[in-house]
Amino acid sequence: MSEKKSRRGFLKTAGVGVGGLVVGALAGTAVAPLIAPPPPKAKWADLPPSGSTIIHGMDAAYPPFTQIDPSGNAVGFDVDVVNLIANKYGWQIVHKPWDWSAIITAVQSGDLDFVASGMTDTAARSEIVWFSVPYYSYIHQLLALVTETRSRDDILNSGGFIACQTGATSDEWATKLLAKGYKFQKLGLDSYELAFKAVTDGRAVAVISDSAFTGPLFKTQPDVAAKFRVVSTIGGDATYGYATRPGDYGLRNAISHALEDIMATTDWQDLRDKWSV
Amino acid sequence: MAAFAEFLPYILSGVVWTLGLVAGGIGIGFVIGLLMSIGQIYGGEDIKAILHAYVWFFRSIPLIVLLFLFYFGVFPATGFKLDPLACSIVVLGLRSGAYQSQIFRGAILSLGDTQLLAARALGMSKLRGIFHIVLPQALRISLPGWSNEYATMIKDSAITFTLGVLEILTRTRYVAMATHQPLIPYFFAGGLFIVLTYAGSKIVNTVYERTKIPGLVGRL
Repeated sequence: MSEKKSRRGFLKTAGVGVGGLVVGALAGTAVAPLIAPPPPKAKWADLPPSGSTIIHGMDAAYPPFTQIDPSGNAVGFDVDVVNLIANKYGWQIVHKPWDWSAIITAVQSGDLDFVASGMTDTAARSEIVWFSVPYYSYIHQLLALVTETRSRDDILNSGGFIACQTGATSDEWATKLLAKGYKFQKLGLDSYELAFKAVTDGRAVAVISDSAFTGPLFKTQPDVAAKFRVVSTIGGDATYGYATRPGDYGLRNAISHALEDIMATTDWQDLRDKWSV
Repeated sequence: MAAFAEFLPYILSGVVWTLGLVAGGIGIGFVIGLLMSIGQIYGGEDIKAILHAYVWFFRSIPLIVLLFLFYFGVFPATGFKLDPLACSIVVLGLRSGAYQSQIFRGAILSLGDTQLLAARALGMSKLRGIFHIVLPQALRISLPGWSNEYATMIKDSAITFTLGVLEILTRTRYVAMATHQPLIPYFFAGGLFIVLTYAGSKIVNTVYERTKIPGLVGRL
């Protein structure tokens, strides 16, 4: 009797479990179109007038482009450039830190007006946001400890962990290399900072980073620079741009024109020197 | 270390945000959980089924998924434009309500039917009996379980960093990057969470000791 009961209990539990999965999948499919975020609406189709409040989205964990100071204020190369742009047009800028993995979604949903935070203008991103003119170029690199003597291909085929920043272009490069047949394990971490630490701690054999991050890092942290060597570059040059919502012609064009103007002045080099980028 | 010391006030001010998240989430969860527990015990079959589905939904989905689902999906689609802090509090509250309902439900069931029967025998309505006889006892019994919910909530609140809520973890991440010192800020944040968890649990336990009914549960 009790055996029959326990079997019935097991079947009931299994039935609820399987039923839950089926119902969840069906409900998700049916409800998804209803709760999907509404398509992005253009807010700044025309040039935002003087006095407009523009919300600048930034990853506050990406020094020296965007970070915070001890008072919690946004600082960095991109923050300075955005302030120069805002001064030119008389905009009120709100610098809003946002998690990198959801920052484009926040632009689409209207929580942010644009992202200026060392964002690479990739083809995939260009399908969902509109980029300004590029303002900074860099190249991806494979870096390992100076004690690592193996070649690029030996490291990529070592079966060990190679660190990268989750959601960043280094993550995309790791995926591309794996798809190409290299035999390593991807170690996606929250930031480049932690990716480098994984190598110095011995948890990864190498790190995929970009010169936009490693350049300033090595200039300001010579002790870190002394531990690493660039094994090889990966791919071709990439560029950063400021990302705006699709349809925001006015904002995107204004940012592009302002960027070109600023880059044509000596202020630009001064800013690059100030932030070591 | 010196660089980190400069950022100490910045991280410490995250405590206010974390406590705001916890107070809001626990408060909303308390109201939802209490009403749901009453519905689950004294409600009709239909109400019980609906409440069961609610509990099942919020207990089955990871918090980070709920946050994204509500912030980027449900709220915008229904016309509510909540900022990240408000959305996080609501989601934490909705989820906590599901868990708290089970704490209160267990406490009410532990009293048995006799308390409500006695109230009814004295001429009280069912609703009055629940609110004046059953709940005052059940709430006392549920306090230890409720302190676990506080401890869980304070740790879960950290996941709202994904929406940019400036609570302790979000600020710690920013400081770790700005100072190029990941270890010290995270150690400090861990210490803060320990202090907050311990202090909160201690307060709840003190309330429990002061309000417990001798002989009802535990020692006399």
